Amino acid sequence: MLEQFVTGLGVVLQPEVLVYAFAGVLIGQLIGVLPGIGAITAISLLLPITFHLDAMSSMIMLAGIYYGSQYGGSIASILLNLPGTPSSVVTCLEGYPLSQNGRAGVALFTAAFSSFAGGIIGVAIVVLAAIPMTTIALRFGAPEYAMLVVLGLLAASLVGTGSNLRSLAMVLVGVALGMIGADATTGYYRYVAMPELADGISLVSLAMGLFGVSEIIRNAASRTGGVTQPKISMKDIFPTRQEARSLPGPILRGAGVGSFFGALPGTGAAIASFMAYAVERRFSRFGARFGKGHLPGLSAPEAANNAAAQTGFIPTLTLGVPGDAVMALMIGALILNGIIPGPRLMVDEPVLFWGVIASFFVGNIILLLINVPLIRLWVLMLRVPYQKLYPVIIIMICVGVYSHRTSVVDVVLTLVFGILGYLMKNYRFEPAPVLLGFVLGPLLEDNFRRAMLLYRGDFTIFVTRPISGVLFAITVLLVGFSIYSAIAQRRRVRARNEATTQ
Amino acid sequence: MTMRLLTALPLAIALAMPAAAQDSYPDRSVRIVHGFGAGGNADTVSRILADAMTEGLGQPVVVESRPGAGGTLASGYVAAADPDGYTLQLMVGGHTVAAGLYTSLPYESVDDFTFLSIIGQFPFFIAARSGEYETLAEVIEAATADPGSIRIGHSGVGSTQHLTGELLDIETSADFLHVPYAGGAAAVTAMMGGEVDLVIDTGTAIFGQADAGVLDVLAVTSSERWPDNPDVPTVAETVAPGFNVVSWTGLGAPAGLPDDVVEVLTAEISRVMALEAVRERIAALGAAPVGSSSAEFQELVEGQIATWTEVIETAGVERR
Repeated sequence: MLEQFVTGLGVVLQPEVLVYAFAGVLIGQLIGVLPGIGAITAISLLLPITFHLDAMSSMIMLAGIYYGSQYGGSIASILLNLPGTPSSVVTCLEGYPLSQNGRAGVALFTAAFSSFAGGIIGVAIVVLAAIPMTTIALRFGAPEYAMLVVLGLLAASLVGTGSNLRSLAMVLVGVALGMIGADATTGYYRYVAMPELADGISLVSLAMGLFGVSEIIRNAASRTGGVTQPKISMKDIFPTRQEARSLPGPILRGAGVGSFFGALPGTGAAIASFMAYAVERRFSRFGARFGKGHLPGLSAPEAANNAAAQTGFIPTLTLGVPGDAVMALMIGALILNGIIPGPRLMVDEPVLFWGVIASFFVGNIILLLINVPLIRLWVLMLRVPYQKLYPVIIIMICVGVYSHRTSVVDVVLTLVFGILGYLMKNYRFEPAPVLLGFVLGPLLEDNFRRAMLLYRGDFTIFVTRPISGVLFAITVLLVGFSIYSAIAQRRRVRARNEATTQ
Repeated sequence: MTMRLLTALPLAIALAMPAAAQDSYPDRSVRIVHGFGAGGNADTVSRILADAMTEGLGQPVVVESRPGAGGTLASGYVAAADPDGYTLQLMVGGHTVAAGLYTSLPYESVDDFTFLSIIGQFPFFIAARSGEYETLAEVIEAATADPGSIRIGHSGVGSTQHLTGELLDIETSADFLHVPYAGGAAAVTAMMGGEVDLVIDTGTAIFGQADAGVLDVLAVTSSERWPDNPDVPTVAETVAPGFNVVSWTGLGAPAGLPDDVVEVLTAEISRVMALEAVRERIAALGAAPVGSSSAEFQELVEGQIATWTEVIETAGVERR
């Protein structure tokens, strides 16, 4: 595998190919920064250009846009609490507090570096383990997905900074919002108050509203006009030595979680970043620091969404079946060039296959190189007085959301969710679990009902199928452990109280 | 975003000018609206046409995706638009399914539209995991013997692929279990993993795997064998005589389009459909680049509305 990869590298480093990799990641980076405008919109606008390019250059450029947007997405999240892409919602949780504490530079650097590390680990997994990962992915049927989501939802109650009960309530609100639209199993319309809601609420509207818009309202209401950032020099963007030492663990765990979810068709970068964050919080000794600008909590999801963006190509490249809409577009570009991707792509078109993978490697390096010098420039944006900045942000949000589905209803909903998010924040309800419930709820319902349809209502399949059974066991253990530790803690508190009263 | 702004610029300039006489059509940019997500088949076909028609019409042709409610949002939008030739619609076979599937549409599926030309026609292919079944007849036999035991994965409730499977049920004695997935790719993946036994989908969704020997293509849904795949038998010649499902993409506009505008547009479409580059790209998407008269297109739409309305009723698919 490695020598083929090196051959691919040779192809990519030719200037006439390299220029497309560069163009792709640069466009992706910019698209990612702009709120609401996702990789899909950018790629479909650029599709006609690929009519005039060969398959390799098209793929390299379009892929670059996709993973480049994952880098860019974190920038607005950190600076403005505005998730540029759905997968950078989690980046807001730690990145924005850091930025408010005057450490935007450090946050941007950590995000860029973690993205880079995650991306490279993702590429390494694509090179070394694409085939075994494919085999595992194919063994995930409806029962496995359903159990995986149950496990994820459980972990989700740990996302957010408030009490577990409040997070759980918010997860359920998210699940309820996710129910709106056509029921995937029967096609029946649920809560479709107007035809624009037939396909459900858009994730972009919900994320932009709950995070970006609500933050703007909060800042406008508080009249403090945001935080004035100190001027920073190049050395102010690096984490302290102690902080740097705490990062390799989160990056590796994040990249691992991200690589796994990325390779599963139908999950993807957004879920990967949430899961990485939940894992990091669960296993951290500094749980209380999360939500207040804890660097490992920023590092893990950033590594995860970039690793997922790379391993997301595994089913596309090895099976020829796209895992999500972006991948479907890539396959479309190949098809237009007369190549129908399938399991034989690696054998029939080795130069294309390995060239594209090698371009991921090169692209990630280019991204790191363009991101680090830009950090100081980005931080300068925070020196613009907030009352001058926020009208521009609101306009950008509206344009971004509108361009997503050409829908005015989506724009109105974004503003409604903004007000909702503001009220939630005032009553100490966290928005992140809402989004997680919104993403995972429909996935659970869809797969649970499909499993019931396929196995004629037999509940035992969740336990008897090996992968599903293992996931079930982990879930039970996690619940048991949580209950046990809660009881143990209550006992300790009671014992202490009794000791003091006596 | 800069791209968007740039494409919108000529439109803005044109809007600022007083309405010009019809004979100068088109004097500003033309939109092709479609009802599906960016990057889907409809989007790609729209962009292929827009790319080519920009040259012939001498004005920018831009694509506008208005996804939602199975494409009916876009159809409603186009039906209500001014019939001036500046709003066109890339229609797909789903337009005829929607006529039977939705209880209240804000438009008449035939009367509210001008049907300009069919662009591409494509059949569906029925595939199974490699080595499972030799012929479609074998599958039908198994599905008849043990009702509900053979599972067909399809790309969503109310999709043409789903209804084609239901039609197969109706036309044969088989009783399949129809399993919905989020798109055709997910259904193919599920079949490779062994979760379903059959998949009905377009050639582009199936031939990548079939060429690699992972899937066997058992039959094609068109009444005659498909020219690109002459080895694949038809459903009609094997298990259900008269069986014919061919889906399509076509270009339409609101009803009441002035005759001179129709003339300009149909002339441009036939010019574009004769271009080798356009034909190649449409063929690459698994469709025969056909082109047609306005009347032929309308006849096709009317026929399919009748078929699908009946299938939806007989199969008991939930109407919405």
